[in-house]
Amino acid sequence: MKSRVIVITSGKGGVGKTTTTANLGTALAMMGKKVVMIDTDIGLRNLDVVMGLENRIVFDIVDAVNGHCKLKQALIKDKRFEGLYLLPAAQTKDKSAVSPHQMKNMVNELRKDFDFILVDCPAGIEQGFKNAIAGADKAVVVATPEVSSVRDADRIIGLLEAAGLTQTVLIINRIRSKMVKRGDMMDTGDIIDILAIDLLGVVPEDEAIVVSTNRGEPAVLEKLSRAGAAYRRIARRLNGEDVPIYSLEDPENIMDKFKKILKLAR
Amino acid sequence: MSTAYKPVSNSMLIDLKAYNTFSQMKEGLENKLTLMADLPIGSKVNVDIGKKILSNKQLRELEDTLLDYGMHLDQLMSGKLNEASNPQGQEEKAPIIEDIKHYDNTALICRHIRSGQKKFVPGNAVILGDINPGAELIAGGNILVMGSLRGLAHAGVFGDEGAIITAYRLNPTQLRIATHITRPPDGERHEVDYPELARIREGRVVIEKLKI
Repeated sequence: MKSRVIVITSGKGGVGKTTTTANLGTALAMMGKKVVMIDTDIGLRNLDVVMGLENRIVFDIVDAVNGHCKLKQALIKDKRFEGLYLLPAAQTKDKSAVSPHQMKNMVNELRKDFDFILVDCPAGIEQGFKNAIAGADKAVVVATPEVSSVRDADRIIGLLEAAGLTQTVLIINRIRSKMVKRGDMMDTGDIIDILAIDLLGVVPEDEAIVVSTNRGEPAVLEKLSRAGAAYRRIARRLNGEDVPIYSLEDPENIMDKFKKILKLAR
Repeated sequence: MSTAYKPVSNSMLIDLKAYNTFSQMKEGLENKLTLMADLPIGSKVNVDIGKKILSNKQLRELEDTLLDYGMHLDQLMSGKLNEASNPQGQEEKAPIIEDIKHYDNTALICRHIRSGQKKFVPGNAVILGDINPGAELIAGGNILVMGSLRGLAHAGVFGDEGAIITAYRLNPTQLRIATHITRPPDGERHEVDYPELARIREGRVVIEKLKI
């Protein structure tokens, strides 16, 4: 299989780029794919923390790019899955420590060994963003149902198009079906209307994400997590499988249905 | 009327309003048809007879005269008929087509203009897509958006107050025509589901339903 380089970006900070990268990377590894996740947020690294791999870092992306170590030495093997690797960002440098050209070369070297190369992009549209998208085949834009997030996503899609990345897809994160039903939150249709790109998936708001992030265990590993289930579906869609987009059902609604079924049975 | 005929959409119009009697009208028609000898045989022509009323026989005679010169009668236009069939007359339709200033250059932009993108067009601009919030489109002439206008559009940037902005859905953050700057009123936004047109009337930018 030809390897795919996918950059996960958003423009706005705090919408869930790192969480999405960690969960999609883990879900793809669960499916038996060889995956490497690259944290390009140099100076503000997070992906290692979310993956629970912080204490294993010896070399980082800047060391690998500048030849202080071999690329393979900087890759951290995940503690749970055989085919999952992380290339951590440096914490003591800044974004200018890597150039888009170096990044492209490094990504192309990784293509030989991996099915999926997921690049976690920093917030913003400056050097870090330019580094992250260099060498990517495809972009996943993460947006939350807020006007500011959608605005930034639109800006990012424009910049991606200008950089020649036209295969951009959208993940809508942290949607709350109750608020959407009340009309207090933008729904997926409103967002797609504005952004005019294909929808890859919808992830519901889930408190379990906070817990799993703090513990360093991606939510896809938990069977009961709704966000985890959504990410597992997205990973399959990313792999080219025809899976319907996660439908928004409240757990309460599922419980109601369950009760109804019980009542009918009686 | 100085010219013998002028094009009306895709067929010619022969103006016979000036003649009082039918025989004069027929003679006038023959004179004009000789002048129109350069038109290809089989062309369709419209005949405007003004406020007069023709009998069926007279109408057939006109048609025969036309056929002698190789023309077919497409439509007979008469002032009375027009008034009867189109009670509002053409006045309401006319301004949109005639008032609009003519610009030589028109740029066709076949993509969405997204937040942070700024486009400048010296003449008219036609967008086959949306203008999203945070995007700017600036044109020397008119602006026509075939999608949603949600961002900023500036028409007639060189000071032409006759420039217009139209959009399939007009929900801009700001509209500018020449030196006038407007924004939608604060508070409740009323959504409409028809195309709209913005232009300057009596020194103010007004938005009206687009009628063509």
